[in-house]
Amino acid sequence: MSTHSLHFFDRVDTALHDETLRTALNRATARFVGNRSGAIGALSDADTLRDQARAIRAHALSRLDELLVRLAERVEARGGRVCWASDGEEARRYIAELARSRGVRSIVKSKSMASEEIHLNEALERAGVEVVETDLGEYIIQIAGETPSHIIAPAIHKTREQISALFEQHLGMPPTTEVPPMIRAARQALRQRFLRADMGISGVNFGIADEGAVVIVENEGNARLTTSVPRIHVAIMGIERIVERLEDLGVMLQVLARSATGQKLSVYTSIISGPARPGEADGPEEFHLVLLDNGRSQILGGQYAEALMCIRCGACLNACPVYQSIGGHAYGGVYSGPIGAILTPLLQPDLPDNYLLPYASSLCGACQEVCPVRIAIPDLLLRLRADAVRAGKFHPIEKPAIQSYAAMMNNPALYRVGGKFARLGTRLLRRKGRIRRLPPPLHLWTRGRDFPALPAQTFSEWWEERERQRHNG
Amino acid sequence: MSRDQILANLRTSLASNRSWLEKEASAAPHAAPPFVHPPAANLVAQFSAELAKLEGRTYPVADAEEALEVIGRLLDEREARQVIAWDLEQIDLSGLPALLAARGVSVLDARVHGAARKERLQTLEPVSVCLSGVDCAIAESGTLVLRHGPGRPRLASLLAPTHIAVAHRSQLVRGLGEALAFLRERYGAALFDPTSHLTFISGPSRTADIEMTLSLGIHGPPEVHVVVL
Repeated sequence: MSTHSLHFFDRVDTALHDETLRTALNRATARFVGNRSGAIGALSDADTLRDQARAIRAHALSRLDELLVRLAERVEARGGRVCWASDGEEARRYIAELARSRGVRSIVKSKSMASEEIHLNEALERAGVEVVETDLGEYIIQIAGETPSHIIAPAIHKTREQISALFEQHLGMPPTTEVPPMIRAARQALRQRFLRADMGISGVNFGIADEGAVVIVENEGNARLTTSVPRIHVAIMGIERIVERLEDLGVMLQVLARSATGQKLSVYTSIISGPARPGEADGPEEFHLVLLDNGRSQILGGQYAEALMCIRCGACLNACPVYQSIGGHAYGGVYSGPIGAILTPLLQPDLPDNYLLPYASSLCGACQEVCPVRIAIPDLLLRLRADAVRAGKFHPIEKPAIQSYAAMMNNPALYRVGGKFARLGTRLLRRKGRIRRLPPPLHLWTRGRDFPALPAQTFSEWWEERERQRHNG
Repeated sequence: MSRDQILANLRTSLASNRSWLEKEASAAPHAAPPFVHPPAANLVAQFSAELAKLEGRTYPVADAEEALEVIGRLLDEREARQVIAWDLEQIDLSGLPALLAARGVSVLDARVHGAARKERLQTLEPVSVCLSGVDCAIAESGTLVLRHGPGRPRLASLLAPTHIAVAHRSQLVRGLGEALAFLRERYGAALFDPTSHLTFISGPSRTADIEMTLSLGIHGPPEVHVVVL
């Protein structure tokens, strides 16, 4: 989508003025939030389960070097191959070279955030290979030439009319406003892509070190087809997405699906260890695991290491009042929402207005409240803001503004006078109790939000009056 | 080499954060609970109710004869002449080969590899019914657990629009933790020796990617029927 070349504030403006997007976002996030709280609430002991999930992730990160070596050795012992990729370039080169050497002409893909992080599709298409996204939402945005707006529901910003028009153009489907014929058309068209594909590329939800296996969860069956039907399966995994034992899934899968969609388990969980064995009727003949670092090994040593516990469930997106209003595109990176505002500056440091993302939060804490591994997201956002200020990344008006605010807060007389002016000012500007646009330079603050009109009476005036009445009465 | 560089970075990073992570790791036990909902008295009823919520159907039957009746009816309704199936002796239902033979239903050769892979896939594509057994089934989530391997093709629960699975009451467990413990106990370290794929199936394929409208069967089977005897 072209909005990615815009500045963060302009992307936010675009999103806030898109009525279709906001309606869809409200509907989707409200549904996800309700489903999640129902599913978590029905557990016998959700709090313990989340504590366990956090402990299991922390354990895996504390031994990440050792577990990755074990995972790689066991994948290789099963006849798979492992690529250790320091960055996106190495991962892209490995997969493109593999496709070239095996004469691969067409690739089917199931959802992988890591592959989007490294812009894999573009690289493969440049190498002359056809790449088809097969998750329905991902397929819709691929043929629309856009990017995902939500980690779990990538095409929530598209209406059925828009999707019908896309299917008419790309699949020759007669126009319709009914969903079932669209599903049938997509199933039929994508099924042929699967059967004709030479390679399947998937993401990974968890690597299991002890088994030399990867876990992929999904609802549609496209990941099962991607990993079972073509001759070659390539799985791409961020190096932090690992657990030590198969039994850890008894905790991790319980919290993952409930947090993501409110399901007890996703429809399909595939645990895959290497290529098909001799004597098996089907399955891939080659299995390749790409272990993607891309900055993660450095993040592990710093103050943002906790963000590596993330299991990409999307619960914090749905719970976030900012995400609910602006959606995923406004964030500009692959990862959106509260966790995206942390991961994008860390994993895609080349995006120029990254430092603004941690400000796309009211710090209300709803994200941390729903996080299945209890990541202290608001804390991390504050630290990123502090980093940006230390690096001199702030608007020139901010420093004098904060300094005068501090001076006022430290001087009761100044505070009272300032407060009187502010209240008078906001009363003149308000409409229906809110101010849409403050005068310059404060208009920068009201670009993406309203300012509430201040009440006629301050708290201290109210308190004084109350005390007076108490003593007199 | 990238491997050595990544591992060196990790070790440097862990030198600063390992003790904090270890503290976090020891804050809660790691052993998974055997199940996470209040346990039901009747596992078949619980499994059936959970699968129904997912739009899948369960047929609790008294004996093999009744199981065959149900499967025969499902095949007839779909006018199935061919199925993609596990080797019939792996499904653990006596009389199944005879039932299929009596109806003239043939089990297609599901071997897809080598040069004929794509051609074989096109042959299997029009088939309307998949037929499999299970390793175990999870009552509290309506989940089938299938360990693939020789005689147990992956495509026999995936390719056709109807998946019929045969499960025994003795194969029902309460929760995911119990299922994983069962697999470990039964197969030990050899879990992935005969196969690369272990699959958990909870109901029919679903998507809500078009305007959050629930639709079944976008890629996997839109129908899942489980005969429990």
